[in-house]
Amino acid sequence: MIQAQSLTKHYGSKTAVDAVDFTVQPGKVTGFLGPNGAGKSTTMRMIVGLDRPSAGSVIVNGKPYHEHKAPLREVGVLLDAKAVHTGRSAYNHLRAMAATHSIPTSRVHEVINLTGLESVARKRVGGFSLGMGQRLGIAAALLGDPATLILDEPVNGLDPEGVQWVRKLTKQLAAEGRTVLLSSHLMSEMALTADHIIVLGRGRVIADASVADIIKSAAQDAVRVRTPHTVALATLLAQADVTITNVEPDVLEISGLTVNEIGDRAAAAQISLHELSAVSASLEEAYMKLTQNEVEYRTGDASSHTEAEVAR
Amino acid sequence: MSTVAQSTQPSAARASFVPTGSGLSFGGLLRSESIKLWSLRSTYWSFSLVIVAAVGIALLMSFAMSATFDSTNGALGVDNAQLFVLVSTAGLALGQLIVAVLGVLSISGEYSSGMIKSTLTAVPNRLPALWAKVTVLFSFTFLVGLFSVVASFLVAVPILGAKNISVNLFDSAVLLPLLGNALFLALIAVFAIGIGTIVRSSAGGIASALGIILLLPTVVGLFSMLVGWVADIMPFLFTSAGSEMITPNTMESWQAFLVVLAWVVVSLGAAALLLKRRDA
Repeated sequence: MIQAQSLTKHYGSKTAVDAVDFTVQPGKVTGFLGPNGAGKSTTMRMIVGLDRPSAGSVIVNGKPYHEHKAPLREVGVLLDAKAVHTGRSAYNHLRAMAATHSIPTSRVHEVINLTGLESVARKRVGGFSLGMGQRLGIAAALLGDPATLILDEPVNGLDPEGVQWVRKLTKQLAAEGRTVLLSSHLMSEMALTADHIIVLGRGRVIADASVADIIKSAAQDAVRVRTPHTVALATLLAQADVTITNVEPDVLEISGLTVNEIGDRAAAAQISLHELSAVSASLEEAYMKLTQNEVEYRTGDASSHTEAEVAR
Repeated sequence: MSTVAQSTQPSAARASFVPTGSGLSFGGLLRSESIKLWSLRSTYWSFSLVIVAAVGIALLMSFAMSATFDSTNGALGVDNAQLFVLVSTAGLALGQLIVAVLGVLSISGEYSSGMIKSTLTAVPNRLPALWAKVTVLFSFTFLVGLFSVVASFLVAVPILGAKNISVNLFDSAVLLPLLGNALFLALIAVFAIGIGTIVRSSAGGIASALGIILLLPTVVGLFSMLVGWVADIMPFLFTSAGSEMITPNTMESWQAFLVVLAWVVVSLGAAALLLKRRDA
């Protein structure tokens, strides 16, 4: 279990994490989601004591991290793929980490097998690909068989097979009653892996709920209507809390009304409908909606820029 | 109570996972730091070079001395013990620079590669990791230093012996200076760990450590020509105190040893303070 209380981190005048409160529960996979620069990594670094909070506190498994007698058995952490000396072999890196807690060498072999590193374990880490580095980082995190796992962008650089493996692994670890916190800026990945999601934006918690609740709260379900009489239907349905978008020449997307309401009203007005279906919002849309005001590095809108050029 | 826990078996999987097994210990940290030291090629290179330089120069010097022995008629102005100490330790001057670099790299390499994050998450109180690193590097450097000077002594014995110059290794006038040299070598490595921890960069750390060891005596020497009293500082420099430890000149051996220790304590003290305080 991880509990953060008004956890804050300033770097000079910049506030990376702004008084966040959250609890990560054991027994499920919690996703830490947010655009780049949202404060995910900083928060994770504060949990394991690499960065000192400017204010507030965070405790893991009941205590501040540094008060644990066996830190690696409490928390396994993957912060970034290359937290390893490049001149050392994967095997020796894990052996050195294991030695601090007198973890037997048999466990080192176990995690090497578990992460599929057998063939490269004796090679120097400097020559590792991003994916292999990531697997080594996960191996190191699992070394102490910890009660809590914190994985920062664990699928970064992994091949599809590796992505699936991480997905299964994290779910299995959570099912064993462990606390699993993983970060990502990819909503689609989270949708498949996480049970619960904490969305960060500009250092604040924007949402903290189950995956289903996040979708429900942030994105409205819409109804898709195909009809040759789009104008007539739009005029008929127009009212204050209804939004109508003409997505194709003969297709409208309507939110604020249910499928039944639209069908009944169209029938009453004798407007023929060729298609009438509910479109459920994706987690992706929910996420975009939540974070649209919180993105720190926004891509310049190329099209509007071109229009301006043309207008001149 | 336990029977109740038994009966709720199906929901047991939902209960929090309780970690078990061995914890953090200083013995474990010493093993970890030994593995770290001996799993890098640079360690083998550095220590080999220290030994090769010491023995090589001892060989060269004893041949040179025995070749010129007849012309100087044995009048080198030093007694046999001093002569053997000089020959056995001359090459260690290069070794001192090598272990200074090794000491800096042992910690700055962790910063530049990101390894430090792994180290400090394993040891969140941080300082035990520093003390373990210091203990391990000090011990191995001392052993390598001792091996170097004793091996140098042994190669000089037959060459100088041919000219009837001989001493007993266990003569305190020989053994103590040799031990002193090995000790100073190990303390340089420790001093350099402190510098590396403070600076956190390999280039900066090496430059600072070598600057203090090599350049500072020269700079102070030049200043003393301009301002008379600056000459009084000379013996208190790290390098000068190190050599006074072995061949006392302006102060007693033990006083020089305390000066050397003071440099090491200041370097490590600042390192410990910063390591504890700064974000990794």
